[in-house]
Amino acid sequence: MVEQIPYINLAFFIPTFPLLGFLITGLFYKRLKHNQAGIIASIMITLSFLFTVILYFILKSSDKQAATVTLFDWISIGNMKIPFAFLIDHLSLTMMMIITGVGTLIHIYSIGYMRGDERVNSFFSQMNLFTFSMLLLVMGANYLILFIGWEGVGLCSYLLIGFWFKNPVYNYAARKAFVMNRIGDLGFILGIILIFFTFKSLSFSEVFSQAAALQIGMPVITLITILLLVGAVGKSAQIPLFTWLPDAMAGPTPVSALIHAATMVTAGIYMIARSGILYNLAPITLQIIIILGLSTAILAAIIGLKQNDIKKVLAYSTVSQLGYMFLALGLGAYSTAVFHVTTHAFFKALLFLGAGSIIHAMGGEQDIRKMGGLRKKMPLTYITFLAATLAISGLPPFSGFFSKDMILNKAFEHNILLYIIALFGALLTCFYMFRLLYLVFYGKQRIATVRPHESPKVMTYPLIILAILSVFGGFLNIPALFNGNSNFLNYLQTAVSVKITEEISHTTEIILIFISLIFLSLVILFAYRIYVKKSTLPEEDGASMSVITRIIYRKFYIDEIYCTIIEKPYALLSGFFYNTIESAILNPIIDGIGNTTYWLGNMTRKLQKGNISFYLFAMVAGILLFIFFILII
Amino acid sequence: MKEITSAIQLIPLEHYILLSVALFSIGLLGVLFRRNTIIILMCIELMFNSVNLLLTAFSAYHSDPAAQVFVFFIMIVAAAEVAVGLSILVMMKRNVDSVDINLLNRLKW
Amino acid sequence: MILLIILLIPLITAVFLLFLKDKAWVRSIALAATLLNLLLTLYLIFYSPQTEITFSAVNNMGINFSFGYDGISLIMLLLCNLLFPFIILTGFKQEQKQVPLLNFLILFAQSALIGVFLAKNAFLFYIFWELALIPVYFILLLWGGEGRARITLKFFIYTLSGSLFLLFGIIFLYQLTPGMHSTDFSVFNQLQLPAHTQIYLFWILFIAFAIKMPVFPFHTWQPETYTMASTQGVMILAGVMTKMGIYGALRFLFPVVPLGVQYWQNFVVILCLIGVIYASIIAFRQTNFKKLIAFSSMAHISLMTAAMFVLNYYALQGMLFQVISHGVVIVALFYMVYLTEKKTATLELNGMGGLKLVAPNMAILMLIIMLASIALPLTSGFIGEFLMISGLFQQSIWFAVFGGLAMIFSAVYMLYAYQKVMLGDKNKLMENIKDLQFIDYMILIPLIMIILILGIYPNTILNLPDLDVRSMLNHISQINEIVKGF
Repeated sequence: MVEQIPYINLAFFIPTFPLLGFLITGLFYKRLKHNQAGIIASIMITLSFLFTVILYFILKSSDKQAATVTLFDWISIGNMKIPFAFLIDHLSLTMMMIITGVGTLIHIYSIGYMRGDERVNSFFSQMNLFTFSMLLLVMGANYLILFIGWEGVGLCSYLLIGFWFKNPVYNYAARKAFVMNRIGDLGFILGIILIFFTFKSLSFSEVFSQAAALQIGMPVITLITILLLVGAVGKSAQIPLFTWLPDAMAGPTPVSALIHAATMVTAGIYMIARSGILYNLAPITLQIIIILGLSTAILAAIIGLKQNDIKKVLAYSTVSQLGYMFLALGLGAYSTAVFHVTTHAFFKALLFLGAGSIIHAMGGEQDIRKMGGLRKKMPLTYITFLAATLAISGLPPFSGFFSKDMILNKAFEHNILLYIIALFGALLTCFYMFRLLYLVFYGKQRIATVRPHESPKVMTYPLIILAILSVFGGFLNIPALFNGNSNFLNYLQTAVSVKITEEISHTTEIILIFISLIFLSLVILFAYRIYVKKSTLPEEDGASMSVITRIIYRKFYIDEIYCTIIEKPYALLSGFFYNTIESAILNPIIDGIGNTTYWLGNMTRKLQKGNISFYLFAMVAGILLFIFFILII
Repeated sequence: MKEITSAIQLIPLEHYILLSVALFSIGLLGVLFRRNTIIILMCIELMFNSVNLLLTAFSAYHSDPAAQVFVFFIMIVAAAEVAVGLSILVMMKRNVDSVDINLLNRLKW
Repeated sequence: MILLIILLIPLITAVFLLFLKDKAWVRSIALAATLLNLLLTLYLIFYSPQTEITFSAVNNMGINFSFGYDGISLIMLLLCNLLFPFIILTGFKQEQKQVPLLNFLILFAQSALIGVFLAKNAFLFYIFWELALIPVYFILLLWGGEGRARITLKFFIYTLSGSLFLLFGIIFLYQLTPGMHSTDFSVFNQLQLPAHTQIYLFWILFIAFAIKMPVFPFHTWQPETYTMASTQGVMILAGVMTKMGIYGALRFLFPVVPLGVQYWQNFVVILCLIGVIYASIIAFRQTNFKKLIAFSSMAHISLMTAAMFVLNYYALQGMLFQVISHGVVIVALFYMVYLTEKKTATLELNGMGGLKLVAPNMAILMLIIMLASIALPLTSGFIGEFLMISGLFQQSIWFAVFGGLAMIFSAVYMLYAYQKVMLGDKNKLMENIKDLQFIDYMILIPLIMIILILGIYPNTILNLPDLDVRSMLNHISQINEIVKGF
């Protein structure tokens, strides 16, 4: 029996608080008055956050790097022993910090944002349920617990996307998100099963210690990693399963911030980073991840260029950033990916919350063509939004710079072509983010009907905190180039496997930073010229566009293509099965047997006329026949 | 007893058989082709009697009284049967005012 | 003795009910009887050692009146006795005709089903198998919906003709038994039939079970019958009677014709998987809520059958767990269908919508039940489905992929149905609708509790059939080796 770290069982409380919050707000949703649910939910998640911090110090003060907290035997059957256990190590602690920390801010923000909504209590109970599932996901000590959280967050995402369920479009978006996630989940569960049959265990420690002894390139491991990748692709919205994420913006904005930017969508990255040892054994899968990640990053960034809905722009930006994280994973830089997850959680949550603040101020308007000139009206929102924009664009010394620069460096180490494409994507990101910023905050207000105003403090304070994090978050991990010692990466090193690659020299690094800086400044100036100086507006919906613009504007017609090659054939197949096979083939066969019997009966029935003379005649004839046969034969 | 047996034996057996067959056939055809229920009943009796006759003849020729006992049985049963049949007939006459057998065509139900 | 009590309680109560007039009394007594039976079953499961009862009734023909149980029967027994209180309870606040007769038939069906699950003798098994059909036939015929005369006749004759093959099979096996002929399962299990006999005998025995379950091309009676049946009728059918087929196959088919099973294994699994996909895809286009659920039930049962036929430990364990889980979930789902029909007076999905606005609690509970049906973790559905897919995976990855497709498709049609019924804006039908009543909570909350408890702590029943599954698998492989040795 391994010696336990004292007080480590406190970990049990971390997911319990949100669960409690979910139960309280869920069961008494009719009794709670407005705001009460929000306050309860926020308290619960704040407690989780505090406990996470405590846990961090507990783990730090001990000499161990990881601890397992077992609650009970969940499934134990035959050789399959799956305990309900939590794994507390540096990776899960990092993720827990993000979830509870950013989660707390978003919960508090939501109190202001959701005020006045008639189903605010349900909202908070679902948010708490989400936090609970997400914590299970990152804390689980084996793949199946991870899977509970995995499906749980999918469910909450479904519920929250379709939160305003009166609108059928939103419901459709919610359903789409769930089903697309489910496609990934199938791959994931098959991967889990294969892991079980390969390693005879599902617990991370067991699997990874066995995997460490394996050779690179075993087909089983490649299959496992590909199956897990399918799950990650679904959850983290990569090609080809990314179309649900932009549609998921149907949910309330805090939901987009928490679920579809900061936490849930990064679950796939977490999972792959967690399984890094397995992925290191499967170079083919890593290649696939690089290709997927990079193409998603570019494709989403291109689509982002022409979107006019503020949340859609941010959604495509999220997809694109997730692509970068995948790129990092594919390069074997798992901890770098997690670092980008962290900084991305800060600035993307901030962007969404800022967008929420804007939408709130504009009375629900989401079209950036109708905004403009908000800089004066909403100074706080402007400043925080600007900070986040600078961060996501990767300008030093903002947080995005550090994480994105590391990914670019890794790409450069791998292949210069990768670096160029990735840099191109970063420039696109910079362009569409500044386009958004300029259109929303600069120029003149374009519709006069609404009077924008700064949001209440309950909403702006979280913005400020997140802005601070976005600005300084990068200092968590100052690379050696700036005389730092990569604290963050070193911290993760104990939990995340590392793929050793050749380091590039500091001179090259500096050159690369300068190259990207020059390009970024040019792009910002370019955007400034177009959208502020010339104050060009994006085309109206019906306006004529060039072919390329139209294709980008319509998102490469991917939704339409999926509709044509999947949804419609599915419906047709369903109709074909029901109308043809079921109703025209199988059923008639069975009915036919019955009907034949019926028909035969009907035929013989006619012999029974009821006429006595006929019966007598038949009887005599029968007797005669009988005698005849007896005598003859 | 002896006299009756010998008296019967005066006539060759073939004649009895032929007579019985003839009577039976007449009865059978009557049953099949007549529509009047009374006649049908009488035809049935005719068939019975042809059989009885045959039984008696065989009994005499084989010196076996068992067959004659059977004849008595048959006659008693026939009497009972005629009683039932005639009462049905009377009911029929009362109900449908006819004794046509084809009116009794509800046996199929 | 306790077995006999469990068997007879419903029967005796049923007869007693016929002499009562008052509806409330009839229902309460029926409920009390089923609850008592449930308690006895739980006692049997958790405290009692294995027992067996034999009366030599028609002994000189080797037809023993003998009952007994093992882990597999216990699962079935638990399912049956767990569901019947809810089935009785469903009738409580309904307007029904001939309440005593209805409850008599329900309890009678329960007795017969218990008999099926406890019989240790093939002949007895067959008698109860047919006996169970009779009350259900009348429940469907007298309390059914539109087109019931034709549909019940079809159902009855279809299943009956299937059973006839089973009877042939039993007689065939009977005359093969050594010495004094016998129809005991234990004797049948020791028969070592030559391979070619097993290969055709397999179908003779299997067809009855295949129709009951139902397996893909033999399913055509099912959607219509479910749609037409009254709520209680469909609960008995979908919740318990379909499991008769599974149980029959486990008890009869696997030990007696193991080689035949092995020979046809892949064929049947593929047939079942076709059934899974076929039913799931069809379900998506149904416009009738009840029919949609009927097809979903068929998809789930097909997956269970597929898992059963891959003949490995995890699949069988998962399947047996799913027996309970599916029973509970499908009863809850059909109750939801009933509530929907009661509240909106229609089952056409296209006309519905917005029920969540007026009945939010109902929406929440319905969502939980549907999630259990699509195997979300921490509901009972997940445990069974996970183990079954694991088992399928052991046989072939493609089996697992196609079985797993059910996970996706079920999400497609279930959420579609949920959206059509619950979500969306207010609608004319939705006026003057109240949320759930006390009786609804009485039924739904315990069912959901069972779903969650089994999902969070599956070990309560997961290991119940452990030994028997192992010994059955052992037995099959042994017999196969012996027969192949010849």
